[in-house]
Amino acid sequence: MIAHKKILTDEMVAKIEALAPRYPNRRALTLPALHIVNAELRHVPLDAVVEIAALLGLAPAEVQDTLTFYQFFHQEKPHGKVRAFVCRSVSCALRGGDHLLEHLCRKHGVEPYGTTSDGELTIEPAECLGACDFAPCILANDDLLKNMTPEAAEAELKKPRARAT
Amino acid sequence: MPTIIVDGQEIEIGADERLNCIEAARRAGKEIPHYCWHPGLSVVASCRMCLIETGSRDAATGKITMVPKLVPGCQTPVKDGTVIVTESQLVKDSRARVEEALLIDHPIDCPICDKAGECLLQDYHFQHGQAERRADLHPFTSRRRDVGPTVTLFVDRCIMCTRCVRFTREVSGTAELMVTSRGAKEEIDVFPGHPLDNKLSGNVVDLCPVGALGDKDFLYQQRVWFMKREANVCGGCSAGCSIHTEHNQDTIYRLKPRENPHVNGWWICDEGRYGWHHVHDPARIVAAGRRAPTGGAFTTVEWHDVVGRLRDDLKSAGRLAVAVSPMLTVEEAWMLCAVARSIDPEAFLAVGHVPRQGADETFPGGFTIRGEKCPNRLGVEAVVALFDPAVRSWDDLVTHVRGGKANAVWITAAYPGPWLDEAAAAAFAGLDCLVVQDLFESPLTALATWQLPAAGFAERAGTWVNVAHRAQSFGQAVRPPAGVWPEGRLFWNMLGRRGLYDPDAVRRQVAESSAALVALAGEIPPHGVDLRIAQLA
Amino acid sequence: MTTASQPVLLEAVGVPDGHTIASYRSRGGYAPLEQVLAGKQPADVIEMVKSSGLRGRGGAGFPTGLKWTFLPKDHPGPIYLCINADESEPGTFNNRILMEDDPHQVLEGIILSSYATRASTAYLYLRYEYPQSWHRLQAAIDEAYAAGYLGKNIRGSGFSLDVYLHRGAAAYICGEETGLIESLEGKRAWPRIKPPFPAIEGLFRKPTVVNNIETMACVAQIARRGVDWFKSIGVPADPNNPRDPGSYGPKLYCLSGHVEKPGCYEAPLGITARQLIDGQGGGVWKGRRAKAVIPGGISMGLMTESELDTPLDFAGPGKVGCLGLGTAAVVVIDDQTSIVDFLHNSCRFFAHESCGQCTPCREGTSWSLRMLERIKAGKGRLRDLDLLAEIGGTMGMMPGSTICGLADGAAWPIKNAIKKFRGEFEDYIKRTNPSGWMVTDPVPALQIVGAH
Repeated sequence: MIAHKKILTDEMVAKIEALAPRYPNRRALTLPALHIVNAELRHVPLDAVVEIAALLGLAPAEVQDTLTFYQFFHQEKPHGKVRAFVCRSVSCALRGGDHLLEHLCRKHGVEPYGTTSDGELTIEPAECLGACDFAPCILANDDLLKNMTPEAAEAELKKPRARAT
Repeated sequence: MPTIIVDGQEIEIGADERLNCIEAARRAGKEIPHYCWHPGLSVVASCRMCLIETGSRDAATGKITMVPKLVPGCQTPVKDGTVIVTESQLVKDSRARVEEALLIDHPIDCPICDKAGECLLQDYHFQHGQAERRADLHPFTSRRRDVGPTVTLFVDRCIMCTRCVRFTREVSGTAELMVTSRGAKEEIDVFPGHPLDNKLSGNVVDLCPVGALGDKDFLYQQRVWFMKREANVCGGCSAGCSIHTEHNQDTIYRLKPRENPHVNGWWICDEGRYGWHHVHDPARIVAAGRRAPTGGAFTTVEWHDVVGRLRDDLKSAGRLAVAVSPMLTVEEAWMLCAVARSIDPEAFLAVGHVPRQGADETFPGGFTIRGEKCPNRLGVEAVVALFDPAVRSWDDLVTHVRGGKANAVWITAAYPGPWLDEAAAAAFAGLDCLVVQDLFESPLTALATWQLPAAGFAERAGTWVNVAHRAQSFGQAVRPPAGVWPEGRLFWNMLGRRGLYDPDAVRRQVAESSAALVALAGEIPPHGVDLRIAQLA
Repeated sequence: MTTASQPVLLEAVGVPDGHTIASYRSRGGYAPLEQVLAGKQPADVIEMVKSSGLRGRGGAGFPTGLKWTFLPKDHPGPIYLCINADESEPGTFNNRILMEDDPHQVLEGIILSSYATRASTAYLYLRYEYPQSWHRLQAAIDEAYAAGYLGKNIRGSGFSLDVYLHRGAAAYICGEETGLIESLEGKRAWPRIKPPFPAIEGLFRKPTVVNNIETMACVAQIARRGVDWFKSIGVPADPNNPRDPGSYGPKLYCLSGHVEKPGCYEAPLGITARQLIDGQGGGVWKGRRAKAVIPGGISMGLMTESELDTPLDFAGPGKVGCLGLGTAAVVVIDDQTSIVDFLHNSCRFFAHESCGQCTPCREGTSWSLRMLERIKAGKGRLRDLDLLAEIGGTMGMMPGSTICGLADGAAWPIKNAIKKFRGEFEDYIKRTNPSGWMVTDPVPALQIVGAH
């Protein structure tokens, strides 16, 4: 029998366990655990879900149920090193947000939520990034890109960027 | 006593009762439609079908004040003075809209959907829905998804009531089912590699109000409107869950739990639910056969002849010992003992083999599967006690026979599968007359003089007593194959009684002669009767 | 109505290192907390907040002090305070600015509120999309612990409090208080049925209060500047209406969309939309006129140009058929924007964010989006407007058909748009679907739906 290679590193587990005293039960660690794994791997594969579930004393289906609700965690493969959330809510839409998203997707040859084939960039629509004072805007990893035009966005998204927290 | 006003009608409920509006309205004969509420599960009030108008009547002035908006009946408890309105235009419009909403994306599957005829979506559509579709047209058929060994999921038929998910979290405690995604894209699913695979899995099919969840065992087998159903008791273990046997033309198609707050609540286990196939197994013994003393094959004996010839054989053989199977009813057990003693007044009476498999298993919701895999050990013991206070066991019988103390042995079995091996059967070799009454051939029938068919559980009529001393009576659901006389009919005739076998008459007779079984004297209510309470009274 | 000239809630904006504890203390911060801990009881703080007339800034406008009194007396605990930093209402960004630029103001409010409610743990539920706020808040929390304003036996008062950041994952419904609670507990954020209300049975089934970030900042300022100060700003309660709690205090208004100067502006409650747009906002952009204005986040619906003199207090927007003040996020839509595009955007948002739990919202948001898509694709019917109006008029917590208020927020833009701009919808439909606008029977759906 081939031993299953663990997805959660000791470091990830330690980070999750460090949060345990904050909550009266293990289930509350679910979302923090998903974020810890996602920050490292840029996705939360099914095998990781099984390990998280075992760690928290839950059934895998319970963790997956929570995970899929957010429509936020990629599972099949890592998202790009830069994850660009392009806002499409009303204030950004009024200032070209939909056009910006469509332009960027076309330019990079991906569908919305898709990742470029080199694994560098994922472009996703976002709902109100809360930066309507700088509409239209993009959240690229931890950086808020303000007052974007298609050209400015293209230039910004070419830059290497620290990974998201 | 608290008074509730339902559509103008006053009803009283018990002072200690905690009812929601659905339960209270039912007392007034009003059925508030609902999908997601179930008395055995947590309240989520998400389907919004049970929305009604409520209010309260001032005890002093009689003035009625209504709550200005609709409220779910399932999450609203009633108390003295609660006013419930179930038929106003506001309520009707709300129901029609919920129905319409559920049908917008519902696949056009009725002609191929098992649930047709017992589907709440269908029923409520006709009762509460609107006649014409207003949403855009996109007819489609449902995707199908395998979720486990017993249950299949038609994904797009689901109305997101989440009863199934709540069942696996709250009752079976196994949490295999989940909701995935968000909003209108939500679906039920299992985690890959972790299928719906627990001993109570089939209950989610009962819970599903629509045809999303289906029994693989029943899929496409029979249309529900062709089936009749008989109130029965499961014969799988000593829990004695109340069930309905659903059948058509003497063929069982499925078993469903019958609600019994004293026994199984709303559930049955998979072993019981799907454990009826042996009744229609073509390998069943279906003829009374007698083997000549010189050996050879069995010769079929006509049933009317069996009555006399069996008695003669047993009488001429001499010392008789009988195993009274815990699969038999109280009535059958009593008649068998009476027949045995009429042949040999010293007949050795023992409780038949009690099959055991594993330990009792209790699930988080409280449901228990028993390791004792027969339905009536306590009933048979109580009957045997009337004839012999020693209440011998199967092991006592084996010792008795091995000790050469019997010439004729009559073993009633009726177990749904193999129950003893050659080594165990060997104890019964070399008898002058061995009678084996069973469903299937076995190492024991290979040694038998007489091979008699037994009844399947759904072919029996009578009373069983479960592990908690609850006696439940049931009628025959299907007739046995090929003109077989079930044990009851054979014993009745061997006692020389006239006419058709009448289990009620036997039951009352048993009750007269037994302090333990005195509660069987009257009518047995559908949920059965606790024999111990009647004894105390 | 009295005006306040200097920003108070936004006092740290533009101040170098304004987010640090040193800066906050130099502005008078944490002194009120020390005074309260030294000499006041929790009940005193509740009374202070009640008297101030502070109403929650998260969207519902429920009187904050009154909400705190719903907690059971003499509960053995734990009692939890959840800070709703999930700010996701389209058009809204004032919480972001408060957290980034003055996290200690928020924190002091949290500590005071926890003291008042006897909460032992405060969870700050922060939306994922605010990484800068995450860093600033965590740094502020660390500074507060180091300074002895958090942790065990704060300033020797006997009161202990832990504040933990908990990060969301981009779901709008986590801004609903029981959706937030479910999310914090590790489940899908399906709002709970009420009763029981969170004050009785909330987070981890314990008594819980959920408060907004801006509300917390107000608590800090009330403690610093006093109840009278707070009540001197805004719109007093109507003396003829005993049920009117008034609209007191400064408010952060977010202005965005088609204005020259989008931004977050502090003004007394009760400023009108026109004053905000033409004043702080520099007017509608590009010299255009406003066609419609959202008064308080997209859920609140639309005001027409002629309704822009409506005071933006808790009572005003309701008088012109909007849902309420909401988050006071004012979004301007100019007269060259199609109202069809606006409503499509709104329906798309709510269909995406509907949690899916209850039938009318799950199906109603999906159905309305699909109709808007078909209308935009040139296959609309006038009949669709009636159906949309019906959906808009029937789904929601207010009529009782849904579990939470997301459905009301989804319904209101539909309701207002169809009612106030029906002509524009009809013109659009007739123009783009000349052969089919009059059809009343159901029409084929826009895409082939094989399997959703």
